[in-house]
Amino acid sequence: MSHKKAQKLLRYLLLIPPLLFALAPVYWMLTISLKSEVDQFATPPPWFGFTPTLNHFYDAFVTRSFGDYLLNSAIVAVASTACALVIGTLAAYALARFQLPWRLNRHLSLWILSTRMFPAIVTVVPLFLMMRDLRLLNTRASLIIVYTAFNLPFVVWMMRGFFVELPRDLEEAALVDGDSRLGALFRVVLPLVAPGLAATAVFCLIVSWNEFLFALVLTQTDAAMTLPVGIAGRVTQFEIKWGVMSAAATVAIVPILVFALALQKYLVRGLSMGAVKG
Amino acid sequence: MPKSRRFFSAQNRRELLLPALFIAPALAVLLALSIYPLIYSVTVSLQQETPGGTVWSFGNFARLVSDSFFLTAMAHTFVYAAAALTCEFLLGLGLALLLNSQIRGRGVFRASLLVPMMLPAVVAGVVWRLMLNPNFGAINGTLKRFGVNTESLTWTASPKLAMLSVIAVDVWQWTPFVFLVLLAGLQAIPQEPYEAALIDGSSRWQTFWHVTLPLLKPSILIVLLLRTMDLLRVFDQIFILTEGGPGFATETISLYIYRTAFRFFDFGYAAAMSFVLLALTNVISAIYIKFLQAKEVS
Repeated sequence: MSHKKAQKLLRYLLLIPPLLFALAPVYWMLTISLKSEVDQFATPPPWFGFTPTLNHFYDAFVTRSFGDYLLNSAIVAVASTACALVIGTLAAYALARFQLPWRLNRHLSLWILSTRMFPAIVTVVPLFLMMRDLRLLNTRASLIIVYTAFNLPFVVWMMRGFFVELPRDLEEAALVDGDSRLGALFRVVLPLVAPGLAATAVFCLIVSWNEFLFALVLTQTDAAMTLPVGIAGRVTQFEIKWGVMSAAATVAIVPILVFALALQKYLVRGLSMGAVKG
Repeated sequence: MPKSRRFFSAQNRRELLLPALFIAPALAVLLALSIYPLIYSVTVSLQQETPGGTVWSFGNFARLVSDSFFLTAMAHTFVYAAAALTCEFLLGLGLALLLNSQIRGRGVFRASLLVPMMLPAVVAGVVWRLMLNPNFGAINGTLKRFGVNTESLTWTASPKLAMLSVIAVDVWQWTPFVFLVLLAGLQAIPQEPYEAALIDGSSRWQTFWHVTLPLLKPSILIVLLLRTMDLLRVFDQIFILTEGGPGFATETISLYIYRTAFRFFDFGYAAAMSFVLLALTNVISAIYIKFLQAKEVS
């Protein structure tokens, strides 16, 4: 074997352990969600060759309340993403395209970004007290409001980048043709940044879907509890139903993985903005 | 002046109306939900309940210095952040260098590595509780199969191994992120410096040290900054894995703040502690940003 071939082989061999380390734990959870209790507690634990069952999924989403949590998670994620996108895109467009006095473009952009940098735990105490005073605890509205604010700086920053990269000629042409400024924005600019808008939306959906701390503090009843809080509630109980918990966790990651694969291209840009964790 | 000029440069007040209307909702949301809570939190931290009513004082801040739980939680946070950051950086850099060449299957490998990092932290916690469970977990079960005595390996339930376990879980989840950012940085480096190094007869090690690392420095600083911020405020995974236990062994500052506020309902003291964390993250990010800017100037 030539030197070069050996080197290539070595490269592949070196890649196997990290690949196993990354994927095996997730696969293991998947097996627990599909194993009967007997297989779950068998020694040695079977990685393969057990009889799969969907009982835990039925138990979690039909018998128990995980269906409600799933619905809450979906409503909160979609509503907060929509709000953040509308409010954030308008601001981003203004910051990218209009020349404001006192170098406000730069100052405002940086200020908006800096609000993203607060550790969540710093605002969780005052936001809990505010929501309590407004009688919004245990409502989806409280989470939608908080996640909108949470995603907003990210939307502004991402969309501002997309707007800046867009050549101005097309907008100018639309204006000369007699379009209003709003008309130019909606008919010319937004269709052009649609891929960026979609990527930004997916990031917001993921962040809202994954968020835990605010959901934990603001929702304690089935009326508004999201999937992560529902799962966490089962983990810290005295008697843990491992199968049910794994089934719920498996369902929680499906939309995320689909989304993530769909926007691999934008991932580095989005993640460098600290999109995934708050 | 052509019409398009006027469109983009606001000269008079009427021209400013539209951008003001566009920006106002965003500013309102951020003022109400980021800035106001911060100010509210300051007032909460400066108030103390006494039998004679609420009084203003620095008592909550004075308490910090003598609270050994707070100091221990701080120490845990630093140990956790330093250990996880070191591992994630070295592993992520190694993987990025390994993958920074045309090899078949790179896309598949990259996509697979994304999986841990995209998981909700709660799910990452669940995954590793299943792996690390001393009785039926995959790790001990598999070790037993190879004849290892796993009696003392109770992982998250052991005061000695619990911290190691939660650090390992963070490394599992976030090394892929470091890898991705550094790989993108490596791929942005132009070919010319490498060709020059080749002509100079530099060894591989010299090329790495004098060409790759300096050119990768901005990516390295950014990824270290982002990871440091996240590590210092870590909450979710540890909450699921150990709830700060056993005892106090894995209690980080965010967990201690949460417990103070929502188990002991001492909101004032929790707010005071959260400002220490805020100050700390601000100082550290300022240092990183200074390094970043120094790089840009030179």
